[in-house]
Amino acid sequence: MSDDIILGITKLNLVFRLDLHRSMSWKAAFARAVSNPLSALTAERDRFHVLKDISFQVRKGERVGILGVNGAGKTSLCRCIAGIFRPTTGSISINKPVRAVFNTQVGIKPELTGRENAELLAQFVYPDESNHSELINEALEFSELGNFIDIPFQNYSNGMQTRLCLSLISAKPAHLLILDEVYDGADAFFKEKVSKRVLKLIEESGAVLFVSHDAEQIRRVCTRTIILNHNQIVFDGLPQEGLAFFQTLKPIQS
Amino acid sequence: MFSKPFWRQVRSLTRANLKSRYRKTFAGFIWVVLNPVILFGVHSLVFQQFLKLEVPNYLIFLLTGLLPWIFMLQSLEMCTSIFKTSGALLKAYPAHPLVYLTSQLADNLINFLAAFVLILVPLLSIKHFSPLGFFLLPLPIMAMAIGVFGMAWWLATAQVFWGDTRYIVSFAMNVTFLLTPVFYPVNFIPEYLRWIVVVNPFYHLIAPFRIALYEFHLELFMKYLMHSFVVSIFLLLSAAWFWKKKKNEFYLYV
Repeated sequence: MSDDIILGITKLNLVFRLDLHRSMSWKAAFARAVSNPLSALTAERDRFHVLKDISFQVRKGERVGILGVNGAGKTSLCRCIAGIFRPTTGSISINKPVRAVFNTQVGIKPELTGRENAELLAQFVYPDESNHSELINEALEFSELGNFIDIPFQNYSNGMQTRLCLSLISAKPAHLLILDEVYDGADAFFKEKVSKRVLKLIEESGAVLFVSHDAEQIRRVCTRTIILNHNQIVFDGLPQEGLAFFQTLKPIQS
Repeated sequence: MFSKPFWRQVRSLTRANLKSRYRKTFAGFIWVVLNPVILFGVHSLVFQQFLKLEVPNYLIFLLTGLLPWIFMLQSLEMCTSIFKTSGALLKAYPAHPLVYLTSQLADNLINFLAAFVLILVPLLSIKHFSPLGFFLLPLPIMAMAIGVFGMAWWLATAQVFWGDTRYIVSFAMNVTFLLTPVFYPVNFIPEYLRWIVVVNPFYHLIAPFRIALYEFHLELFMKYLMHSFVVSIFLLLSAAWFWKKKKNEFYLYV
């Protein structure tokens, strides 16, 4: 893989085994085994193909918007790239560290204060850095949480939790940045403020994968759009064309 | 896996665990050590005064079995659900799941050592301990910590796939307590039933600890220490094997 290519994905497939999720009593299991003794042999029916034959590359400087209706596989794809999900088949090549954020309303220790959670969060978001104090102070100031910084994180509203997490994760650029619907929960004022900071972060990062349902944000932020539908890529091209294509998909889904 | 960032995350999370545990408690740290201290007091009363077990220096004998047992019991009970309860975090920020398990174990180890010292200090006046036994004490503690880590890793992974695991652990630990020579010496067990302790990993983890403090004999200590390390390393390697087998599906069900 050349230095110019930050991410390369080849024939990626992700399959979930639904039978492991299904809650079944002994009685129901027995009844099923008796009524359909071949069910164990036909387990393929209980598999769900979350991502099908996904292949694409991301070059340095690209800002890729990932669009798709709920359940299309956007978050699963990002989790595979971040190393959280392991693909069933296919390969992912990344030549630089990835920083991925999937949820901005999770406190690592909700019973501790916002400041203490920010200190912990910094260890998880910026694992390769040993000194986080400057970064944390700057993020806390940016969050404008004032005296709330020293009350327990569990007492925060969703919006306040998002403020704290977003302020911290947007503090430094990354080689490959994955942002998955990170604005959810932030109020309009803070969304506007943090959007500018995230835009700056995106410009300074090597490459960005940006998952959002907000067409305007995709238009403003991205240089390329990938659209997932029925768990596979159905469009890969310029944002303007991608957004127009996406509009044609929506009526089919609804 | 066990890189510098891993240990930094473990250290921060252990500190946060300790902080959150003592916050808003009047007696703080005392509550954590009070549980083993009271259990130790009640056991010594029942077995020494009521049942009149004829074991020389029974208090020391009991201390060297009961305290490690409490550490192992609490660690396994707390760690079995750790991956499940950390599910939202594991999916939000890319961090190795063992960070959560290791920090929980470190938290329990600190509490165990504190309770151990608190009980041991008054007992120093009633028995002469071998200085060499004292000096070598970190070795059986290390073997015990590795063994408990292996068991906890096994159980926490199993709990992700089979929700019954934590109920089985709770039941099995109650039964195993009676079958492990914690409050009675191993020679109370008839010869034909000794196989029960031979196959019991908890016995092998406690034995060198007890020998170091209760009846120190270098040759015997080294023999039991070797057994302890063999059991620990087997538990650790088998847990790593189980993890490797299951890790591809782990995040789908956590």
